[in-house]
Amino acid sequence: MMSTTSAMKVEFEHHSNYLNELNDKRERVVKASRDVTMNSKKVIFQVHRASKNNREEVLSKAEKDLATVTDHFMSKLVKELHGTDFWKLRRAYTFGVQEYVEAALFCRFCRTGTVLGLNEINATLVPLSHPSDEPLQINVLDYVLGLADLTGELMRLAIGRISEGEVEYAEKICRFVQNIYRELTLLAPIMDDNAEMKKKMETMLQSATKIENACFSVHVRGLEYIPLLGTDDIDYSFMSLQDLDS
Amino acid sequence: MRATLRVALFCSPLRRYCAAESRRPLMANATPSNEPSSAGAGGVNDDGGPDFSLSAASSMERLFQDFRVQLEESGNIRERIRGVATEMEAALRVMHASILLVHQSVSVPEVLMKAKAQTDVLRDLYGRLAGILRECPGQYYRYHGDWRSETQNAVSLLSFVHWLESASLLTHVEAESKLGLDSSEFGMDTEDYLIGLCFMSNELPRYVVNRVTAGDYDCPRKVLNFLTELHSAFRMLNLRNDFLRKKFDGMKYDLRRVEEVYYDVKIRGLAPVGCIQDQGS
Repeated sequence: MMSTTSAMKVEFEHHSNYLNELNDKRERVVKASRDVTMNSKKVIFQVHRASKNNREEVLSKAEKDLATVTDHFMSKLVKELHGTDFWKLRRAYTFGVQEYVEAALFCRFCRTGTVLGLNEINATLVPLSHPSDEPLQINVLDYVLGLADLTGELMRLAIGRISEGEVEYAEKICRFVQNIYRELTLLAPIMDDNAEMKKKMETMLQSATKIENACFSVHVRGLEYIPLLGTDDIDYSFMSLQDLDS
Repeated sequence: MRATLRVALFCSPLRRYCAAESRRPLMANATPSNEPSSAGAGGVNDDGGPDFSLSAASSMERLFQDFRVQLEESGNIRERIRGVATEMEAALRVMHASILLVHQSVSVPEVLMKAKAQTDVLRDLYGRLAGILRECPGQYYRYHGDWRSETQNAVSLLSFVHWLESASLLTHVEAESKLGLDSSEFGMDTEDYLIGLCFMSNELPRYVVNRVTAGDYDCPRKVLNFLTELHSAFRMLNLRNDFLRKKFDGMKYDLRRVEEVYYDVKIRGLAPVGCIQDQGS
């Protein structure tokens, strides 16, 4: 009787250690992910501060901030995640990585009007990990989920550009978002766990529609109307733009 | 032309929309000289908007083409895994049904024999699963959800059989080796193992009741000892608020039910005398 008691104890001590370590690690990953989320959001806000006159300056600052997120916060994730953790703990870090992808894509889009590839993002992560370890690589799913979120930011950007009279820019954003949406309609159904993606597709369509409507409004009415009112204090309520941002 | 546009701005939404549609070709031809209003809003981008190259759309297409290929590949792997998991489920059902015979007082060796035949089938299926996962190293946990519940079920049945056989706990390592798993490559997830043990505990109250009905009055004592020990071993674990925690919380009801049966048997003096002392000491 005694021997089986202690055998079971030994067995469970083993599992207890395993669970403690796993939970601690998960906790650290969640924290690191939260830091990544918070600071990536700041980068996105910074990009939004760009306007016609200060673009270069604001974007440079945003890019510098993004590099800081990579070095200080993504590096923490990289340190924690090894081997099977990458998929096992994905739920603990996916939101941070999605936000990070979104911020990186947003910076790139505002800079060049192109989409930053997954390989390019992953290349920036390689130097963060120890040469002997397999480097952390963002997976396709988190990248695509981040890209889906990007359209929300692009919607805000497009509305903002229209308010400042940069209609052509807004129309390019519109085209870009339409391309993303079209491409993702093919990907969404074959993604691993597509419930989350399905929801994002709906939101994305809403964002695309909002940009399209705003472009439409300004195209149809704005062109005549803006110069009549002057450029200093423009009342855009006639374009029903005020509730587009929500 | 200006007059038409001005009207378009202030008439009803429907009319406005129609006007807009008819106006589009005009806009395309409009030049800044005879349409000064458009200069303010269009062409603003020249002074600093991002440089959108025409290749942007095609590079995006290429990127997504890659993703589609990758996701289709992983989708195929998942489908194959699900196929194996379905077969596992079937084997486990047969195994479960054969084990249920213990409730009908079929002799333990006979039950064990039938259960073991299914263990071989399971071992085979886990071998196939490991083979599929060898194709995508490091992604065990990407697909894990597709065979989790089968593994938990397998542990519950195997550990019950093991207890019938040896009255001891099936360890994690033993469970792995019964299913032919190699922990360095394709191991059994610890949490799945623990959840499986909780499932096994659910089976014990019924077993005890039926054994007593069949006249085996010593059974409650044995089960109670084992379950008490298992329960206190589980209490060593720091659990999160997850599925395992919920299952463990359910274990105490199994324990209480077995205690009740033990009490019923003892209070009526049905339990063998020596055994009562054993429990008391």
